[in-house]
Amino acid sequence: MLQPEKPVAEKPRARLNLLGWGPLMGLILLCIAATLLNPSFLSLDNLFNVLTRTAFTGIIAVGMTFVIISGGIDLSVGSMAALIAGTMILAMNALEPRLGGGTLTVLVGMLLAVGLGALFGLLHGLTITKGRIEPFIVTLGTLGIFRAFLTYLSQGGAITLEQSLSDHYSPVYYGAFLGVPVPIWVFLAVALLGGLVLNRTRFGRYVQAIGSNEQVARYAAIKVDNIKILTYVILGVCVAVATILYVPRLGSATPSTGLLWELETIAAVIIGGTSLRGGSGRITGTVIGAILLSTIGNVLNLTSIISVYLNAAVQGIVIIIVAFLQRGRR
Amino acid sequence: MRGLLRGLVMIGALLMMAAFAQNKVVMGVSIPAADHGWTAGIVYWANQTKGELEKKYPGIQVIVKTAKDAAEQANQIQDLVTVNKINTLVILPYESAPLTKPVAAAKAKGVFVTVVDRGLTDPGAQDAYVAGDNPGLGRVSAEYVAKQLGGKGNIVVLRGIPTVIDNQRYDAFMEVMKKYPNIKVLDQKYANWNRDDGFKVMQDFLTRFKQIDAVWAQDDDIAVGVLRAMDEAKRTDIKFVLGGAGMKEMIKKVMDGDKLITADVTYPPRMIQDAMMLTAEARVTGKPMKTPTIIPSVLVTKENAKDYYFPDSPF
Amino acid sequence: MLSVQFEGICKDFGPVRVLHEVSFAIQKGEVHALIGENGAGKSTLMKILGGYYAPSAGRVLVDGQAVHFRDSREAEDLGLVLIHQEFNLAEDLGIAENIFLGRELRRGLLLDESAMNERAAAALLQVGLRLDPRRKVGTLIVAEKQLVEIAKALSRRVKLLIMDEPTATLTPDETQTLFKLIARLKAEGVTILYISHKLEEVKAISDAVTVLRDGRHVRTAPTQGLSQQEMANLMVGRELSDMFPPKTALESPKAVFRAEEVSVPGWARNVSFELHRGEILGFAGLVGAGRTELFEGILGLRPRSGGRFVLEGRPIELKSPSQALEHGIVYLSEDRKGKGLHVNMELRPNLTLMALELYARPLLDPSAEARAFAEAAKRFNVRGGAAESKASALSGGNQQKLALAKILHPNPKIVVLDEPTRGVDVGAKREIYFLIRTLAQEGRSVIVISSELVELIGLCHRLVVMRSGHVTGVLGQREMSEPEIIAYATGLKGSHATA
Repeated sequence: MLQPEKPVAEKPRARLNLLGWGPLMGLILLCIAATLLNPSFLSLDNLFNVLTRTAFTGIIAVGMTFVIISGGIDLSVGSMAALIAGTMILAMNALEPRLGGGTLTVLVGMLLAVGLGALFGLLHGLTITKGRIEPFIVTLGTLGIFRAFLTYLSQGGAITLEQSLSDHYSPVYYGAFLGVPVPIWVFLAVALLGGLVLNRTRFGRYVQAIGSNEQVARYAAIKVDNIKILTYVILGVCVAVATILYVPRLGSATPSTGLLWELETIAAVIIGGTSLRGGSGRITGTVIGAILLSTIGNVLNLTSIISVYLNAAVQGIVIIIVAFLQRGRR
Repeated sequence: MRGLLRGLVMIGALLMMAAFAQNKVVMGVSIPAADHGWTAGIVYWANQTKGELEKKYPGIQVIVKTAKDAAEQANQIQDLVTVNKINTLVILPYESAPLTKPVAAAKAKGVFVTVVDRGLTDPGAQDAYVAGDNPGLGRVSAEYVAKQLGGKGNIVVLRGIPTVIDNQRYDAFMEVMKKYPNIKVLDQKYANWNRDDGFKVMQDFLTRFKQIDAVWAQDDDIAVGVLRAMDEAKRTDIKFVLGGAGMKEMIKKVMDGDKLITADVTYPPRMIQDAMMLTAEARVTGKPMKTPTIIPSVLVTKENAKDYYFPDSPF
Repeated sequence: MLSVQFEGICKDFGPVRVLHEVSFAIQKGEVHALIGENGAGKSTLMKILGGYYAPSAGRVLVDGQAVHFRDSREAEDLGLVLIHQEFNLAEDLGIAENIFLGRELRRGLLLDESAMNERAAAALLQVGLRLDPRRKVGTLIVAEKQLVEIAKALSRRVKLLIMDEPTATLTPDETQTLFKLIARLKAEGVTILYISHKLEEVKAISDAVTVLRDGRHVRTAPTQGLSQQEMANLMVGRELSDMFPPKTALESPKAVFRAEEVSVPGWARNVSFELHRGEILGFAGLVGAGRTELFEGILGLRPRSGGRFVLEGRPIELKSPSQALEHGIVYLSEDRKGKGLHVNMELRPNLTLMALELYARPLLDPSAEARAFAEAAKRFNVRGGAAESKASALSGGNQQKLALAKILHPNPKIVVLDEPTRGVDVGAKREIYFLIRTLAQEGRSVIVISSELVELIGLCHRLVVMRSGHVTGVLGQREMSEPEIIAYATGLKGSHATA
């Protein structure tokens, strides 16, 4: 046979490398530039600041990676985070007189958040698979619904956590373990777990198979609907985890909570080398993408050589350059 | 025959109702939906005032409508005019330019128009104008900051969203600062009038500048984020943070003698109440309304804070 | 009328040479068949002639003149048109719009719709299609699309028509219509270059045959002088003994699976059949008889309005493919790229997809998967790709062998194969036939749905013939013959029957 055996065997490996290195190269270049512009960029405190900030969108982006690889999308994550945050605070405030302002109330609040996240994800998944509605439309709808409910609950203002609870809760964001802030540890754990699930479990393999070609997956006896629903549930739980970290930061939820997180997380996933059409993707890429995005904002704040009016343009240019670095031949 | 008779009676009744409606004041109030603290205050005060007006002037009818963007607001104005048959309109426009024509169309149909806060691009489209004092907010803030610092120190500025309002406040602030060469504005960045961005921008300011004496956050929501960031970094060099607008939590802090929040500058959502009251009075009594009416931005300190504290308002 | 001469054509893709100094001639006005295994270089050579590729060396002469096409349009201007195996039609556009795509007729600045529709209707009539030229191509069946492609070529004043496996998806009837059309085109002076795997067709309609093997020219000869067996031997390069393994009769048939009164709305009504242990049961019928849909219904891949199933004496439910898999029933679709194989995924995950529980302990063990792939590649003779290369890099035959390996990986009891040798070359076909026989000898039961009667007759113990959703006949070993099957498939014989 005349099959070109060698090139076939080598090509995919070369491409995988490109996928992995593009965003990382972009991040490294950005960090070098930032250090030249302002040496305090490299200070431990600043690096921790950036990573802690990344934790919210980064954790959600890990969940989003599953949804996008399976061929779906979720536009509602920012609103969902806001609604979970608001509901969680209201519940904890209501429980405080009965359960006390201590750890117990906070734990109940956290459980409620995870439950809500899973429930919202389940609703998304069921509407998309059993209701046969495009995920773009379903989550565009809930994007409005979730935020409207939060605005209603807060009457447009802020929902604020009681001071005593806030004191017990704040270490979840402001605390540190081995000198590293808690949110960074959680982010790391979620990313590692996400990578393991995506690459080394049957579920992860099925997610990729469905995204690559849903029909083939169906004919291969994969329970396509169940797997898809599960990706949305996972994303919902990721949103809840991010919200649990977010609430103690300001101790409040407002109608601007989580604004545009959906774009930031989707951008992180795509910059990280996951195809918007689904099929393949990498958690490490997503993590780097998320860090890259928040680093851009940090660098802009640390310098004043660029007019503040042009911030968005700088972000846009960096995103496109990184996408260029990691573009694969398809 | 009986059917015809009944029809005539009904037409007659309708005509009478229409004639009656023409004599009384029907006021439409069109405002942005409560999508952040300040607009939430607007909605609260508009509804509050509706009750008060209807009690004070029996026969007056007040319809409050909220819109989530400029396009929806434009449709609402049309509906208010054609369906609700309003003869008086109090509007806080989402944006100036896109709403100028719809408001002018309403005025052309004989509706009395009072514009609040954001002026239209064509002043001819309004009968009266009630506004907050944006340059005043910047000026009062700057004077307070300068006085507290004794004319000397380093400050950082967190701005809102790039808009005319933000520019007016910022320009007036910097104008005053020219008089104090020893006060150095280290940098200014947009924090989009929200808490999370206030937190992030302040964190980076703290990384970048080792000595900051005061922060002008311009808005109370931003100030909430700023305080958190300072708290986390455990920085003690900053003597005070000045927000703006008069959010109830901040006024409470001023009232309670907080160390960092020593004052606030108002830009009260309650201006919608003034606009509605003044308009109703002018319409019922037939006297002309003073225009423009500027609601001044006032410095709130521990002494006068209780006059500006409304615990029932969401803002 | 055109003649074509290839002189020392070479084609390299990177470091790989896929055509080695190919030289032969196509005479004016003849039907010239081009045959060879998958990967022999037929398509590449045709794409050079059609203007899609430039040769790396050598030259092409058309009517004695050397030509160098820069794109397919230049070739078309000379009257050379290539009809692709996968059609080049825009599904959402109308027939007329497709026919005039890129050469729209205009009146002033506007499109002249009525003139285009008129001329499209005329071109359709020429190929025997009475269709509204405004109809969307997406609503046509495959055979109609094929004819639309030919009509499109005719409207461009074709002088040499290149057809790549035109009958792969046609029913016998439709194939006959196409052959009549080819004869007419030939009479009108169109030279035809015909690529096919079906040697009996080549024998029936061509004047001359050219055989390619491994990118080299093997022989060009008048068709009369070659038997089908000789053609096959030339293609494979060795003596192909029998295409089919010897049949062994089933001793004491024992029912493994019974389907009763299965109905699939729009496709099949009250179909019942029985499958024995170690049996190869064929399903014959015309395209549209409902065979594929029947089995998709049985597997739970499309909604069913009725049906009961008995497996090894116990009634079972079959609501989804995963439930079928739990009972050891698997199905391989006729649509290899759309439903059978993840062409964008690597070979290893493709192989193990349906049996991942074997490698989850509880985390997946990629090295165990890789070992399984190496073993399967050897057993099923999958060549041309490493475990981590994409399935799309494989030739059609090797893709099909991989797809078979995949559905057999969970060790099923009942294997349903839909058109298992479609688009597969002679060598791979033979391997698949032997594999099917081995499966039966291992005690599994195999159902083969096929449009190739020779294949069904050569392979199956019993044959179920379907027509418009009904079973019309069940043929045993002795009754199986092509005319007999066609009689049942076309309704000349048999009413509703039960297998």
